[in-house]
Amino acid sequence: MSKPPVLRAENITKRYGKKVVLNNASLSICERELKILIGPSGSGKSTFLQCINFLVTPDRGRVWLDGREILRTHKRDLNAYRQKVGMIFQDFNLFDHLTALANVEIGLTRVRKMGKEEAREKAMQGLEQVGLRDHIAKYPAQLSGGQKQRVSIARALAMDPEVMLLDEPTSALDPELITEVLAVIKDLRANGMTMIMSTHQLNFASEVADEIVFLEDGIIVEVGPPDKILYEPECERTIQFCSKMRELYGNSR
Amino acid sequence: MGEMDFIQHEVLPSLFEGLGTSILLIIPSAVFGLVIGVAIGVFRVFGNPLTEKLASTYVAIFRGFPLVVQLFIWYFGLPHLGIYLSPYTASIIGFSLCSGAYHSEYVRGALLSIKRGQLLAAQALGFTRTGMIVSVILPQAIRRALPGCGNELIYLIKYSSLAYMITCIELTGKGKIIASETFKFTEIFMIIGIFYLVMTTIAGRLLQYVEFRLEIPGFEHYGA
Repeated sequence: MSKPPVLRAENITKRYGKKVVLNNASLSICERELKILIGPSGSGKSTFLQCINFLVTPDRGRVWLDGREILRTHKRDLNAYRQKVGMIFQDFNLFDHLTALANVEIGLTRVRKMGKEEAREKAMQGLEQVGLRDHIAKYPAQLSGGQKQRVSIARALAMDPEVMLLDEPTSALDPELITEVLAVIKDLRANGMTMIMSTHQLNFASEVADEIVFLEDGIIVEVGPPDKILYEPECERTIQFCSKMRELYGNSR
Repeated sequence: MGEMDFIQHEVLPSLFEGLGTSILLIIPSAVFGLVIGVAIGVFRVFGNPLTEKLASTYVAIFRGFPLVVQLFIWYFGLPHLGIYLSPYTASIIGFSLCSGAYHSEYVRGALLSIKRGQLLAAQALGFTRTGMIVSVILPQAIRRALPGCGNELIYLIKYSSLAYMITCIELTGKGKIIASETFKFTEIFMIIGIFYLVMTTIAGRLLQYVEFRLEIPGFEHYGA
């Protein structure tokens, strides 16, 4: 028998006015899995991820964590749930008025009510893990894009999440900086973190994903292991998208 | 008695006494005004529809009524409802509420300038709404609101002179009394003007210092 999923999202639908940006999208993920969402810009990847932790309120759909349904109207449950689901944003969203260290500490002290010293130690460890030991005192304005994204990963990790959602974590980065962030994500993967990630880095996806989900116009078009989706997809649209991406970024084989 | 002697021995002691009262009016009004301004600004941006409406109405009224009229209401109007305020208390209430209404607009502008991503990041970490406002939004917004709020504090120093209209005899009130007795309007009001100039200059410097102390990378004031 297969393991029960850690996180399950079912029939998520979101409209902005008349435009349906997400149509009955469902996804579930088991412990230690990495699932990658691909699809053209505007296909609903970000909306899907943000609906999963209710940063965007879905019009319809349900979400379960560890078999418990999350009721977003119940504030306390929602906040507890969000602590267990780390989120990484495309444009980092570090707190601009805080140093790298304070960015990682603040969730621990203010949300988890951890003692100052314990929080500091944990934050230091987290920043060390993402290779930023020497930059703890810098403000976001003094960090490169790659460093900012690594701080934001440390900030999310410090909360000891069960699942992490990564919304195009490398899309706002220079090509040179992408590698350092992908290396950290690979590290997480090796340490068994459960992750759902949207990205345009198909090479990376083919290397590390357990499953790839192709999304277009708010609909999940095709789901399968990387080899199938990237090289032998069934749907015409998936074939077109993947070959276009390969043209842009080169073939991984 | 020579002119200088008169000013030194008769005018200045009296004006300094008035200055003391002015300062005792300005400092609490500044503090209360700021607190009210931050609270109202937050309600207007992050409140529910009811608090938002209440806060907007507050701003409309206290920014719309002339300050003198507000003071008259507090001091001469309330006794009709059986509430008696001392001139000093009525002045502080009037100044704080008026100042708060103006501050709230600077604070509101600053709150609206905070990028949505900051809110999303705080929510994603599991912050409560209040926690997010206190720990993430306000520390940034206050830095952005400071120049505007400083402007309002400077105004407050000067409109504190209206307290004498409701018999709270501060600097301008003292001056008016002496001037009426001696007919030395020019000299006395020049001196008073300089007193206010000194106060606003000191306040300006203090604000500059606070801005400097709160300055962090990413929040600099370029070209200063």
